[in-house]
Parts: sequence; structure tokens; C-alpha cells
Amino acid sequence: MPKAVRAPAPARAPLLPLPLVEKLLSAAMSRGAGFGEVYVERSTTTAVSLDEGKVRSAQVGSVTGVGVRAIRGAQVGYAYSDDLDEAALLRTAQTAALIADGTRDPGPVALSRTPLPTYYQVKQPLAGVDVARKVELVREADAAARAHDRRVKQVMAGYADQTREILVANTLGHLAEDRQDLCRLGVSCVAFGKGGERRTGFYGGGGRVDFRFFEDFSPAQVGREAARQAVATLGAVPAPAGPQTVVLAPGWSGILLHEAVGHGLEADFIRKGTSLFAGKLGEKVASELVTVVDDGTVAGGRGSLNVDDEGNPGERKVLIEKGVLKGYLYDHLNAQLTGQRSTGSGRRQSFRHAPMPRMTNTYLAPGDQTPDEIVRGVRKGLYCRQFGGGQVDISNGNFVFEISEAYLIEDGEITKPVKGAMLIGVGPEALKNVSAVGSDAAHDPGLGTCGKDGQTVPVGVGLPTVRIDNVTVGGTGA
Amino acid sequence: MEAQVAATKAREERELSLLDVCEQLVRLAKKAGASDSEAYAERTRDSSVKVRDGNVEELQQATSKGVGLRVFSAGRLGFAYGTDFSKDGLRRLAQSAVSLAKGAAKDEFNQLPRGTQLGRAADGAYDPAIEDIDPAWKLRVARAAEGAAAQVDRRVRKFDSTGAGDFLSQSAIASSRGASAESRASYVYVYCSPVAEADGQLQTASWSDTRRRLSELQPPEEVGRIAAQRAARMLGARKVKTQKAAIIFEPQQAAGFIAGLAGAVNGDLVHKKSSFLAALLGKRIASEQVTLADDATLERGLATRPFDGEGVISQRTVVIDRGVLRNFLYDTYTARKAGARSTGSAARGWSTLPHVGTSNFVLEAGGKSADEIVRSTRRGLLVTAMLGSGANVVTGEYSRGANGLWIEDGQIAHAVQEVTVSGSLLDLLQAIDAVGDDLDLRSSTAAPTLRIAEAVISGS
Repeated sequence: MPKAVRAPAPARAPLLPLPLVEKLLSAAMSRGAGFGEVYVERSTTTAVSLDEGKVRSAQVGSVTGVGVRAIRGAQVGYAYSDDLDEAALLRTAQTAALIADGTRDPGPVALSRTPLPTYYQVKQPLAGVDVARKVELVREADAAARAHDRRVKQVMAGYADQTREILVANTLGHLAEDRQDLCRLGVSCVAFGKGGERRTGFYGGGGRVDFRFFEDFSPAQVGREAARQAVATLGAVPAPAGPQTVVLAPGWSGILLHEAVGHGLEADFIRKGTSLFAGKLGEKVASELVTVVDDGTVAGGRGSLNVDDEGNPGERKVLIEKGVLKGYLYDHLNAQLTGQRSTGSGRRQSFRHAPMPRMTNTYLAPGDQTPDEIVRGVRKGLYCRQFGGGQVDISNGNFVFEISEAYLIEDGEITKPVKGAMLIGVGPEALKNVSAVGSDAAHDPGLGTCGKDGQTVPVGVGLPTVRIDNVTVGGTGA
Repeated sequence: MEAQVAATKAREERELSLLDVCEQLVRLAKKAGASDSEAYAERTRDSSVKVRDGNVEELQQATSKGVGLRVFSAGRLGFAYGTDFSKDGLRRLAQSAVSLAKGAAKDEFNQLPRGTQLGRAADGAYDPAIEDIDPAWKLRVARAAEGAAAQVDRRVRKFDSTGAGDFLSQSAIASSRGASAESRASYVYVYCSPVAEADGQLQTASWSDTRRRLSELQPPEEVGRIAAQRAARMLGARKVKTQKAAIIFEPQQAAGFIAGLAGAVNGDLVHKKSSFLAALLGKRIASEQVTLADDATLERGLATRPFDGEGVISQRTVVIDRGVLRNFLYDTYTARKAGARSTGSAARGWSTLPHVGTSNFVLEAGGKSADEIVRSTRRGLLVTAMLGSGANVVTGEYSRGANGLWIEDGQIAHAVQEVTVSGSLLDLLQAIDAVGDDLDLRSSTAAPTLRIAEAVISGS
């Protein structure tokens, strides 16, 4: 549990007057629930998109609302409202309270603030940055992609940011407030080759960073990289089908960990016994080259959290150490029910959603081989450089992830581009087949969004160059 | 004092209908300098129950609302949205949209639909019986599903989740070009995801039913039983060798397969030559057994609506007629750009601009039963669940993770997992050699059982 200390009130007024928050907490407990929580969110989203080189639109949206949760044992009542007047909010809290069916005078709740460190690198709220500067960013990225190669004929460039302020208070007396800014610049493009061939490229990045981030992570570089991918894969041959040795390039390939193990370590699946990692704490579940960390404290990381959506501080958690399963990802409810403590992993998409255990930034600790050594050691295989999305079935552990840019490896050399490749495997088996881990630790540039049970949250992933033996490659080639 | 002010404000909001909110915004936008504007608002009620071991696990109930305003100012587009329906809130929204338009490029195709294109109010997709469902009913239904699932097989003891819920929505649209309409919709659902366990293997499966009318909902016991049978039959699943063989998609997986085509017939992508179907209008792209239409007027369809996201009256658009590609889908903007007519295909929510999307995207039923299709298959994979997004509509490549049942000589031999199904979408569409008679509109994108004569299965 976070240490609750009386801290001086911040300069800004809370999102909702604290006496009202306390009243709502009491209302949530009024029928005998054991735990009550109020979550207030105000978010402003700005988006700019360019279509065929022209600014199609600029848009701004702003949404405010309150979610109230009441828990009795393993039972949860949840209600929310975007109507902020006191009567409507009290009705919302009373609806959540219906999960319990007694009566009780819960007495007053005294709130005290949880002091927080900061892992974000944002000075000025992104919502306050002039839209014209955001438009300029997108224009530059678009122009760079078009200028890169004349075969790049379609470019879609977009920028979006969100300034999200939250207040979480619960009947344990904890009160936490945070401002979570997030941005992303992205470019996708299509290159046209001979005989109607089309290849796509996508690149971008961002995070919980200041707008000045784009002075270093330049929009021109983003545009050029998207264009490079599309052009590089023109003339690709069909991906070979069947089991192979694959080498994953560093960065966004970390989606492998996210799918192959991350979801299976979320405590809701563990408690219900529906994950194949349930009951395996202390067991060897991966090659000893594999150390997996979920880290909500990465500076500026897309998944980083000063505080999670239940008011618990972000943490760095070692999930797998040298192949041995060390821990799971807990939210408040699942920690409570299994006698554990929250790992700061309780997240929700918005006030319209109840929190559940989620990943933050999930990465593989680096090894000691150079990327060159790793590729040179492969006689025949597949080098996977850029990746699309992935998915996992928690129970049987089957996961897939899409490879958007891949090359054959022949006698230790990266050769021809291949198309239409996809990897499929079973989490623990794939991790046991990890046979080399590079020294080139890397995080993705800030692109990831993870979906679970209808809720999406921003996440980060990371992986150094890694070799995995005997992975099934889905393709159509021989 | 502050609370009192807030209460007055709330009363004032409640007196406004959604259409009033939209019309007020259109007036405010004009005042703020917009040459044209359109407001779209929604109010929803969402209520659900989850159960575990016969007890309530989660009870959720809430209403929410929002409005989006699209303005054109000298041919430039601006868009703003929000949840604050107070006078001040609406005024700020209008000013924000108009000021945002200044930063956008002038675009001659920016226009609103008008006149006879516009649809009128209708309540065809609304069942008042759903309005009256109480939490106790949902609890009973969810319990019944879970209870029935637990009776099927002793290896099915765990549950990922089981629940039931209902959803009501109202939407309204108003524009400076004469759009002024409201509609209501509702649906009710029940679902069950049990987990089967044996010899250290876990297999989850799920079954659900969603209907526009309460009286048409599948009995929850049936939902639970089907879900449990689907989980149990996957036990013992293993890889098969990499090979070419027949692929049979169960209706839900067939729907997933044709969902991949939805992006490819999006008029916007087609216009940008970024769809693999862009140059194939009027050409034979699929087996003669394939007829596919997007139909927002379909009775019982989950995406049936009187008008689309810009108020354009709903229609049926034949996309593929006996294998021949006949039409692409357009909203007003992309239609003008491509020199076509809107097909009433603007999808939107209050927080998004209208964009091309499908409504009820349905592949017509054929004449064979699913059973006959399986029995007449010498060697192949009956696909029952899939992983990944699959279709790349730009390149026309298809590759997706699959779970299912292996078929030898028309009989189910064993369960299969950890394989992928791959091919070019055009080859796969041409190779469809059987279409089932089991079309059921349980999702807005729907198809009957489909067999593809041959595709690549990657495994061991």
C-alpha cells in the first residue's frame, strides 16, 4: 500500500470538490460494500490528419466524467456519469452501491494525498500547444515521405495528443491526482511497384513527452522511415511456410513479449485459473536468457504511470528472471482477493470503464551478443525488421504477430525481402526456444495500443535483437 | 450555492431533446461564422451483469451522451466534440469547430448531403421490451447460461466470463442543409466463455447471442451448452504439418474472413488506388457462388438504421454479384471526390468525423448444410477460432492464426491449434467451392459456412 502522507494541496483546484468526492464515497458504501472508489477524468484530445498532402481536418474534443465503483468481496458494482451535477453523481454512486444489499452507515471518509514522483517528460500540457504547430509537424512528415522515393504515391500522416487529468479517491483514504499527457505522430504510406504491386510502410512515435520531443525525433525522419519500409519490400517473394529460425530486430518486436507472456501474467486470468501461467510461480517458463520486466517508470514511456487508475504508484516489476517466473501483474481487486499487493497495474480506458490488470511498458533485458553475431550464426532463417499487431489466446497460449518487413537469412547474410509473413507459437515454448539475446536494448518509438475486454490503453514494448529457433512462420512460399 | 446552480443547469439540459441540441449547435455555428454545419448527438444506456459460480461478479449501469459538430467554413473542415450540453458548453464547441476550420485546407469536395438524399426518423430497430429489462432478469439469464455450461462436460469447470446486458441508444442529426432526424435502437445480449482443462492443456471458447428484439434472443441454456461443447472439443489440440488443404470457415469465422473485404471496398481507399480491388470493378473476383451486399435496411440486422452518419437515407448496395465486383461504398465526401454517389455508408459516433464503413455486410446463403460441406471434404481444417487481423486490404495478402478441427474423409479427426491459414485474398475468393445455408444475422458482418478448396496451412 502506498504511504499516505498529508501533502500541501496543489495549486489547481481538484477536478471535483473534495467534500463532494467524500460524499460520493459514502454513498457508494451505503449498502454495505467493503470498498468504494471515485474516479474523475477530464480529457482533451486534439487530432490533425493530412490526406493526399492536404490538411483534411483538425479536431478537438473534450470529455469529462466520473466513474464510481463499489466492491463487496469479489463482487463489483460500477456506474458512471458525464453529468456532473451533485444529484446525478449521487445517483451514480447509489447505482454502484447496489452490488451490496444491506444498509450501513459507513461514516465519513478522510482523504489524504499520495505523494507522487514523476516519470513523464512534459512541461506544457499538450492540449495547450497551438494547433498550427501540430499541423506543421504533420506537413513535414508527409513531405518527407513523398520526397523519399517517387514510387511512394499515397501518404497518410496524422498527429494526435491527449491531456488527461485524473483524480482517484477511495475509502482507504487514498487520494491521487495526475496529469497524463500523451502524443503520437504517425505516417503510413503505399509504394507502387511493377504490375500493380503495392507495399505499405508505417512508422511513428511519441509518448508521455513534451512537444519539444519532435525537435529530436524529427517528423522528416518519421516520414522517410515509413517510405523506406514501403519501398524496401517491393519485389518481395512469398514468405516461406513452416518452422524456422527467426531473428527479431530490436524495438517494436517487444510485442512478442506482450502477447506471448505479458497478458498471461495479468492477475485476473491467474485468479480465475484461465491462464496457462497460473500456478507456475517459481517454475522455469523460458530460456535462461530471458528476463522480462514490466516497467511503469520508464521516462516518457507511452505506458508509464506516475499513478495507475486506482491511485497506486507506477512500479518496475520483474516478471521473469533468467527464465524463472517471478510475479504477476495485480490491480486492487485481484490483489485483495489473493492476498497480494497491487503492482500499480490497475488501468482503464476512461471513466466509462472499470479498471483491470494491464501491462505498462514490457521489455526484455539485454544479453551480451552483438546483433551481427546473432544474424551471422543463422544458416537459414528469417530476419524480421518491422512488425504489425499481435494477439494471444490466454488459455492455450497461442499467439500470433504480424511481420510487415522481413528478409531471408541465407548463410548468415540478410538477403531477399519476403511478404505476407506472420509468426505463430505457444508462449512458453517460444520463450524456451530463445537462443540468443543481443546487447542492443531498445524500446519501441511509442506506438502501441493494447486492447483487452473492449478497453484500449497505451503501452510500450521493448526487445533487443533476439534469435528464436523453431518458430512456425505463416506464409505461402516453399 | 454552487450545487444549486449545477442543478438548474441539469434541468435545462434534460428539457432539451437531442435534436434540440443539434439544432442549437447548427445555429451557434452559423453565428460563429460557419458557412455550413452539421451536428450529430447520441445518448446511450448501457447495463450489464457478469456472473461467476452463480453469483454476481459485476453489475454495471450508466447513461452517457455526447455531440459532435462538423463545420465547413469557406470550404475548410473543422470538427469538435464534447459532453457538455449546457448553453456555454455548446457555444464553446461551436467556436472551437469554426476556429479549427481555419487551419484546414480548402477542399472543393467538402459538402453536406441535402434534399431527397436525407432520411427521416424511424424506430424500426427499437424494441421497447428491452427498455424494461431489469438487473434481476439479466442475472437470471447469465446464471442460466453458466449453469448449463457447467453441466456439459466434467472437463469444463472454469469460466473466463459469463454475462448478459442490454443497450439503448438515441441519435439525432441536424444540418444547415436541411437534415433533421432522430432514431432509436436497442439490443440485448448474452454470452459465455468457459475454459476446458485436461492433461495440462487449457482451451477457451465462447458463444454469444445479440438481438434487436428481446423475444428473439437465443435461450441462455443453449448459449452456455454450445460454448462448453466448443471448449471441450478443442482439448488435445495439436499442430498439423505444413500443407495445402481445404479450409472450412464456420459462420463466425466466415464473417471474419469477409470483414477483411470491407476495407477493400471502401471508396476512399479505392480512389487512392490503395485497395487490392481498386482496378477490378466489373471483373470476376470471386467464385460464382459468392453474392455479397451491404444493406442498412435489412430486417433484424444489427446495423440496420434509417439513415447513415450524415443523415443519408439507407440503402442496399450489392458489392459482389455472383462473383463479379459491382460496387464500392461511399460517404458524401469520398463519393464527390470519386465522381460517384453516396451509398449511405457514412459511419460515425459523436466523437468521430463521418467516414466510410459497412452496415450489415452480408454474404448470401447457399444451398448446402454445414454438415454436408464437412462430410464432402476429403482433407481439411474446419476453422472455429482465429487470431490476428488477417487481411491486408492494400496488398491483398491474407495470413491469420487458426484453431479448429481436422477433417479426414469427411469426419472430424482431432483438434488443431498453432497453425496459420495464408493465401492471396483473390485466390481464396475464387477458390470458394461451397456456401452453406446457415446464415444467421448474429453480427452486423455475417456469412454462412464457407469452404475454400485449397489454401496453405503452416504448422510443423
